[in-house]
Amino acid sequence: MKEHLTELAKRAGADYCEIRVEDSRQTAIAFQGKDLENVQESHMFGGNVRACVNGCWGFVTFNDIDTLESRVQEAVRNARAAAAANMEKTVLAPVEPVQDVVKLDLKADPRKVSLEEKINLFGGYNERMLGHDGVTSTNLRYFDTFTHLYFANSEGTWLDREAMDMGMGGSAVARVNGTTARGSASEGGRADFDAFRGMEKRFDKAAQDAVESARAEVVEGGSYTVICDPHLAGVFVHEAFGHLSEGDNVAEDKRMQEVLKLGRRFGERYLNIWDTGLDYGLRGYLPYDDEGVRTQKTWLIREGELVGRLHSRETAGRMGEKPTGNARALNYRFPPIPRMRNTCIGNGPHGSFEDLIKDVKLGIYAIDSAGGQTNGELFTFTAGQAFMIRDGKVAERIRDVTIGGNVFDTLKNITGIAGDFHVQDGAGGCGKGGQMPLPVSHGSPHIRIRDVVIGGR
Amino acid sequence: MHKDTSRTVEQGSVGRFTSKLAQMAEAFEMYQAEGRSLNVSFENDRLSEIRQGQNSGVSIRAVKNGKIGFSYSSKPDELDYVASAAIRMAPYGKVYDYEFAGEAVSPHTRPYDPSCAELNPDKLVAICNHVKDTVKSVDSEALVDCSVGGGVGKSRIVTSNGQDCTEQESSFSFFVSLRLAEEGNFVQNYRFGMANEVIPEDKILQEAKDAAEEFQIARKNAPFAKGKYPVLFAPSALGDILMPIGVSVNGTTIEKKTSRFVDSLGEKLFDERVTLVDDPFHQDGPGGGLYDGEGVPTQKRAFIEKGVLTGFMHTLSTAKRCGHQPTGNAQRSVSSQPSPGMHNLVMADGNDPLAQLMGRAQGGLYISQLLGTFTSNFLAGQVSGNISLGFLVDSGKRVGRVKNCALNVNTFDLLKSAIVGISKEREWVGGRYLPWLLVDGVQISAR
Repeated sequence: MKEHLTELAKRAGADYCEIRVEDSRQTAIAFQGKDLENVQESHMFGGNVRACVNGCWGFVTFNDIDTLESRVQEAVRNARAAAAANMEKTVLAPVEPVQDVVKLDLKADPRKVSLEEKINLFGGYNERMLGHDGVTSTNLRYFDTFTHLYFANSEGTWLDREAMDMGMGGSAVARVNGTTARGSASEGGRADFDAFRGMEKRFDKAAQDAVESARAEVVEGGSYTVICDPHLAGVFVHEAFGHLSEGDNVAEDKRMQEVLKLGRRFGERYLNIWDTGLDYGLRGYLPYDDEGVRTQKTWLIREGELVGRLHSRETAGRMGEKPTGNARALNYRFPPIPRMRNTCIGNGPHGSFEDLIKDVKLGIYAIDSAGGQTNGELFTFTAGQAFMIRDGKVAERIRDVTIGGNVFDTLKNITGIAGDFHVQDGAGGCGKGGQMPLPVSHGSPHIRIRDVVIGGR
Repeated sequence: MHKDTSRTVEQGSVGRFTSKLAQMAEAFEMYQAEGRSLNVSFENDRLSEIRQGQNSGVSIRAVKNGKIGFSYSSKPDELDYVASAAIRMAPYGKVYDYEFAGEAVSPHTRPYDPSCAELNPDKLVAICNHVKDTVKSVDSEALVDCSVGGGVGKSRIVTSNGQDCTEQESSFSFFVSLRLAEEGNFVQNYRFGMANEVIPEDKILQEAKDAAEEFQIARKNAPFAKGKYPVLFAPSALGDILMPIGVSVNGTTIEKKTSRFVDSLGEKLFDERVTLVDDPFHQDGPGGGLYDGEGVPTQKRAFIEKGVLTGFMHTLSTAKRCGHQPTGNAQRSVSSQPSPGMHNLVMADGNDPLAQLMGRAQGGLYISQLLGTFTSNFLAGQVSGNISLGFLVDSGKRVGRVKNCALNVNTFDLLKSAIVGISKEREWVGGRYLPWLLVDGVQISAR
């Protein structure tokens, strides 16, 4: 495989050519209510060829590797056709070619756990949620995916890499007086199946959250001070700043380069944000990106100032900056684009959660995340659970709390960062350019933000 | 799609395989799919990529000892692996308490455009160039992304109960996006279209022009304070507002009794002007098909008619468990098991010209795009999110963009008692054909 792919990439006749072959096997389990809705084993095999001529790309996917030689020719032909209408120079930031074999290094291998044991474990969590008064239904899904990736490019890089990805998310649905609400728990990772064990109390709490939320009132809309727990704050930094840092937003947009000039102040001096591929075991762990670039810890904001961004080789090359190992593809059906890995807010000087809340007269304490979205300027995300804060204390529960903000000024409104820190992986992922769900992680301390718009009654 | 009479070459090997599968399993369903596509992309005003895709796959649901197992492979020649894995999964699977699709032929036809198989990259590049020129003629500062492409596919479902249906499909789509970053303001707008035949270039250019003109209005911000306002939802935003209804007529939420509509069949839930139909045969609908993901012939059905709940969307399994008739609403990819879903959502038009509704929205909002609504508590009827593209309405016109504001509405209440008017005009947005909807008294939060 190594010689074949490397040789084809080298003699493709493009400015640059890469070939990716991917062989993955997945086990998936899903419960809905009392039913074991889905148990499946799947096999996915395929690959792609990406060729660049004069700054234009030809991209071809395939399932049949016997056709690879003609797929390479098609990719180059498409790149040339695109280049004919667009005479530019191919500028990919230079990287040293690497040759590496990356074998799995797992703490607990999900492939050594029988299907029966997995079903009993997750079915047990599902039954616990169903056993709570007021819970009318549940959803719980688990997957583990083992992938063997082969990557060769025309510059001599060769990677033979194994990867594991696991995720599990469950939610209880409660209905009280015609009002429905959810409570959820999740876990994920790349190295340790044992992380999914012993979650009984978390699922009991999910059921309890669902029932109590269904009894709660919808939040009154307005502008509030919000304290986010580490899970929600992680989603906040992903949506409110991480996507803005992705190089493809900036590389060819001169006005955006002005707005996002390195050195610009985005927050107070206690604000630090980074993105890293180096955190072994997390879903955002990635030794090499999908262009064969070794990953790193990339600082985005240090002491409140913009100091970096997340690059593919192309976006780095166009901006004269260094690649960061952030070019990622969901699978062989997609080309790599700048994406996050594990994006974090560093812990701050403002003590504990109690210290953050004590001065808030009227606000919202938002916990866990039901997901979020950004369009580059604005962002929205929804809290899993939420409570009013009154006179410095956590008060009554509220429901359906959706938090909105403006990417360009919300970081300035972070008025407190606690000294704690937590990363919570789950079963979901990030979506961009039709590529979803890409495994990512995010972490943060508790944070306090002022003037947050909350949609409500 | 029709019962396919041109499959004689393939019939031999598949026929032998299904005979073998019939020996191994008490019942089975095999789903094969393949497709190819060509797509041209412009990014940042320039041609960036020509992409060709090929995909294939086969999945099997097999019944052993009364339970269903499922497996999938992207390699179409791995039939034996998929069959044995499905049978291995069966002891853990759902009880087979319904029947896989029996022999049935759809009496309908579906548009198939063979030219989607022969798309010329040079022509697609030319369309993208024309889109860019059209946008620039309206706003020369906007940065343009554009993609145009299409493809063809074929799927086949064979069951042990005698169904054997093959469906060919063609598809074409475009996406146009404009953006402009300025200090303190980041404006963007987009349009997209999908069809099962090649979309004429003049239609794409008209969409690009409309997007650019709306973009120009959005470059000016309008002053706005929180409060209750009349809101005119454009079709692109109305799709989000209707999500709670789609979720609540879904057979899964009916079966699990999490839907508020579970005991409401025949009840008048909404304003009598609200009629919602699932139409898999609409000439212009991209989401149609003659057979669903289980091989059941599809149907055009109203699920809300003049405000009355008239039906649900079911797979074979959810229909059986609810004691209802199957509706042909099983949706799936080849790698997943079926679940209930909509083909093309069509909302009945109203009596009000759009221009009149704009006039009646005086001092209120015109909302084109919402952000992050997919995280809302749809089962409770709630839709919440940021207003990512909304305008202040004055004298029947959009006069400027309102920013940094959000809404959180209850769709069930909104469609019951807050409707002011529904437009005569309708537009396709993906698989939805929707009018403009004017409602009153919507609470808007703002900084």
